[in-house]
Amino acid sequence: MKYVIIGASAAGISCAKTLRENGKDSSIDVFTDEAYMPYSRPIISYYLKSYVEKDNIYLNSPDFYKENKINIHTQCPVTAINAEKKTVTTAQGEFSYDKLLIATGSKPFVPPVENSENAVNVFTFLDMAMSEKIKSYAGADTDAVVIGAGLIGLKAAEGLRKICKSVTVVELADKVLPSILDDKGALMVKETLNKNGICVRLGDTVARCNREGNKVTSVTLKSGEEIPCSLLVIAVGVRPQTALAEEAGIKVNRGICVDKDTMETSLKDIFAAGDCVNSTDILDSCEKIIALWPNAVREGKTAALYMSGHGEKDSGSFAVNAIDFFGQQICTCGLIKAESAQELVSLKNGYKRLLVRDGRLIGFVLIDDAERAGMYTYLIKTKTPLDTLTGDLLDTPSFMMFSKEVRTERLTGGVKV
Amino acid sequence: MKKVIAREEHCLNCKLCEVYCRTAHSQSKDVIKAHLRENPVPVSRITVQGDNMLSVAVNCRHCDKPACVEACITGAMQKDPETGVVTCDESRCIGCMTCMTVCGFGVIKSGKFAVKCDLCQGEDMPACVKNCPNNALVYVEVGGAE
Repeated sequence: MKYVIIGASAAGISCAKTLRENGKDSSIDVFTDEAYMPYSRPIISYYLKSYVEKDNIYLNSPDFYKENKINIHTQCPVTAINAEKKTVTTAQGEFSYDKLLIATGSKPFVPPVENSENAVNVFTFLDMAMSEKIKSYAGADTDAVVIGAGLIGLKAAEGLRKICKSVTVVELADKVLPSILDDKGALMVKETLNKNGICVRLGDTVARCNREGNKVTSVTLKSGEEIPCSLLVIAVGVRPQTALAEEAGIKVNRGICVDKDTMETSLKDIFAAGDCVNSTDILDSCEKIIALWPNAVREGKTAALYMSGHGEKDSGSFAVNAIDFFGQQICTCGLIKAESAQELVSLKNGYKRLLVRDGRLIGFVLIDDAERAGMYTYLIKTKTPLDTLTGDLLDTPSFMMFSKEVRTERLTGGVKV
Repeated sequence: MKKVIAREEHCLNCKLCEVYCRTAHSQSKDVIKAHLRENPVPVSRITVQGDNMLSVAVNCRHCDKPACVEACITGAMQKDPETGVVTCDESRCIGCMTCMTVCGFGVIKSGKFAVKCDLCQGEDMPACVKNCPNNALVYVEVGGAE
């Protein structure tokens, strides 16, 4: 069996690993346009703030790929998929496949910002190459401006704070991390950012760059404020990379459309996984892009199991995220708002907000109060009826909340001792 | 693989498993020094939940399909294909706590690194089992968990 995988990040590599675990003799070729061996994309912000060395960004040792006969083709973009001939065209020539995985991920969405074109100090922040460029460009006299207060923008800002003279984050929404936090949680994070020297401008955006030659020197906000800027990071969001799939005739609707159980696309023997696909959220049954690491890994694995004929239905997507800014730990899962949902809040330790609908947990926000957070994730994933549990849901979750039968079954895995 | 199985009918809520786990994962391996002298304070990877009426010790289940390994963003969390033991490579962990957020058993503790049970690798029997005074913890060959 010949497998070809386009993309060498979370979904691509988990697919390659799972394919190898399920078949010794197949050939596995992974193509990436990047110059690096497969690395952890979220780690680029830790590299920016010098928390990890460059040697420590990789997902596996080079030996791993040799031992498992997984051929990683770096700097080798795939330019076309020919579904009829079952080949892909790459910078290294044509490769044929029996089964193909598209795991092209996402690309930064760069909105038109007046006067920013071709400036040497305007960056995005999504891959290691960019992180290296920013790191070598930024210095102690740099005034950095980040457009966008999402996960990527704030991580860039945190990293830049370690290097630059000033860091200002400009966000169009009225709160930071609008996609994962409720108002109160977002306010706590904003306070932490402020305390650590990051200026945050909400409900505003960069209207125009002012420059000298090929360098941006300041930005003018929509509100009229002018902020000095010698380094601009545009991090307003990402878009799924679907061009290859679309050109090959695969059905795309924002993300690549896939069968939610198998990850197969509208064309036979072509699968897709990760940030480039529409996932179906088990909590609201909506098709959406869930551009988060654990989701991509799981989808890559599911695709591999079907590609290799060991199919096992996908266990379903939902958002889970853990991140920290300046030591403030934020864990979120599921939905942040839903119609007719009830909100349970505790400020006992840090901030805990649980979202309950129809007697089931459907989301949480935990800030500096994440002890045993995964037990809440379990309740969300399994849609456990909350009336089968005892105790206060807002207390630190424990196995004592389950009935004896459930507790024993889960802890012993059915083993009698 | 062999796993630690808790028998709640036998658990006395004495928390000696926690004491000896902490000691086994300390620098000094001395029960007094580990609890009074060491900085950073060693962390127990097993936790007794409940109260004096009913309690049970909970540690990593070393799942067949570990959610923590799947979710790890750096590759630090790995399940050994031969022994089945799930461990966190501290040199590669960045303390993002995604593993803690997805572990349905709530057995990963946060810190600079993810802290979890390693079944006292290299020892015949984990310290928690060895030092349980009432056989509430047993170390037995089992199939898989979740």
